[in-house]
Amino acid sequence: MTTLLIVEDNELNRDMLTRRLERKNYTILTAGDGQEALEVMRQSQPDLVLMDMNLPVLDGWEACRIAKQDPQLQHIPLLALTAHALDQELARALDAGCSDFATKPIDFPLLIQKIEGLTQS
Amino acid sequence: MTAQSSLSVLATSLASQLSALMTNESIDLASLGLTQECGLLLDALKAITEESTSALTRHDQLNAYTSACGYAELLTEELCALDQAAGFCEAAALLIKAIRAYSELPTSDLRRTSLTHYTSSTTLTGVILAVDDHADNTELLKSVLGRSGHTVHAAHNGRDALRQLETTAVDIVLLDLSMPEIDGKTVLTTLKSDPILRSIPVIVISGEQDVNSVLECIELGADDYLFKPFNSVLLQARIKAGIERKRWHDKESLYLNQLEQREAFIRATFGRYLTDDIVADILEKPEGLKLGGDLREVSILMADIRGFTQLCSELEPEQVVSLLNEYLGTMTEIIMSHRGTIDEFLGDAILAVFGAPKADEAHADNAVHCAIAMQRAVASVNATNQTRQLPNITTGIAINTGRVVAGNIGSDRRAKYGFVGSPMNVTARIEDLCGPNELLVAETTKDALTQRFKLDTRGAHSLKGIEHPINIFAIDWSEDTL
Repeated sequence: MTTLLIVEDNELNRDMLTRRLERKNYTILTAGDGQEALEVMRQSQPDLVLMDMNLPVLDGWEACRIAKQDPQLQHIPLLALTAHALDQELARALDAGCSDFATKPIDFPLLIQKIEGLTQS
Repeated sequence: MTAQSSLSVLATSLASQLSALMTNESIDLASLGLTQECGLLLDALKAITEESTSALTRHDQLNAYTSACGYAELLTEELCALDQAAGFCEAAALLIKAIRAYSELPTSDLRRTSLTHYTSSTTLTGVILAVDDHADNTELLKSVLGRSGHTVHAAHNGRDALRQLETTAVDIVLLDLSMPEIDGKTVLTTLKSDPILRSIPVIVISGEQDVNSVLECIELGADDYLFKPFNSVLLQARIKAGIERKRWHDKESLYLNQLEQREAFIRATFGRYLTDDIVADILEKPEGLKLGGDLREVSILMADIRGFTQLCSELEPEQVVSLLNEYLGTMTEIIMSHRGTIDEFLGDAILAVFGAPKADEAHADNAVHCAIAMQRAVASVNATNQTRQLPNITTGIAINTGRVVAGNIGSDRRAKYGFVGSPMNVTARIEDLCGPNELLVAETTKDALTQRFKLDTRGAHSLKGIEHPINIFAIDWSEDTL
């Protein structure tokens, strides 16, 4: 069973993604900010993290950077959820260590494809 | 009408479909495990229709749209097979499409817009591609221009320069002329013939102190020209001017993109209900379409399949859908080609209005011509149905003419472009009187006709909920009478 960590501060969206992905038989963990995300990653070692970038406490870019420098976490692939399809946003996410990204509103079939790609390799 | 308020209209319409679904006793949402999801979608739709949404940042707005979109898709996936959910699924598809059109930025063109554009608007620095086959020269440019805050990439031949231009966002190109393989003039020609790259200013830096060469480069599209050894102050000034030009061009392209996006949005939102020329009209002069609501005379057409409920009980769900799609598809085409506006599909029934949103003096004639064409098209629908082992159908059509309020009806918080007034209800009552293959019109429609049709009186009818009896006429639509 594949375990995904959804990091998203917007409750409606976090809940929506959780429900949709659970229907596709993923085990879902959630976190509401970057700090919490790192704690959950250390505790539960998810197979993939879906990370919103604009987060309170510790933002997504910083959380990604920390995860990629942590020997215990750096193997976990990160997928950025961004609100903009601008190059600048994408470049920032990739710079921070994300392997891929999905823009909002989420294209769900595409997201599933990306999740499958990142968790099988 | 702004994009947000159109989304709000679509969200309102989806919310009402959803509420109907949630109170529909023939669907057991609890056993499908969807009760909570329905509630959550309703919350998300509420967030979109709240007045305050327009005051939210784009990020918050997208969050609201993202969650509405997600739940709408989830519910559509689970419910699309259910006949009772067809209205919901249709409204959901419209909202999802509109949200995607609204939030999608045209990334393909933005890809080549410089990233520095978004990060450093105060100091005018940019990304510069220095093309020279001598590494010494590019190193010099790197150190001189790098100190002023520019990012300098180097290319040491024409091929490399063109490759970098394809993949990197560049604000300005400094181009040497004499290079091996592909020379500077060829790079210039290639660059200026590319629809996207041509907007990048090019400053030629060359050792050829030759006026004809200068002229040739300017004719090929170079923006400026400097001789080696270049004066660094002069170069900096020309680069600044070039970047300024590029910024203006980028802003202009971005603005054009937004306009195109808005147009695509309006087409995606209304294209389904309105004919192309009306959509074009709205796009050309938005103020011409009064959405505040106005009282006007229109002809209302209502058509449905006779005995459809009975038919449904005898057919498999897929057969019903196939039958409906064939029928509604054919009828929609006919209505649009007669300048009608489809107000609603109610199961097998179609409600269309002639004379709104675009005023049309011949609305009654057009409605009757349309109804005749629809009745005649039933034969071809049946021919198609037979090849699919589906039963023959017959349709009844009623037309009524009267004054209705057309426009954005509701409150500020909940509004829908539609029509209200008793003529709408009267049309539905006349429709109840229709037999198979019949085309009935009210006396008001008969009086509004300017062309001759073969009419038979059906006498005065007292209709439920209508005070005075209404004179009804049947129109003979068989081929030989017209």
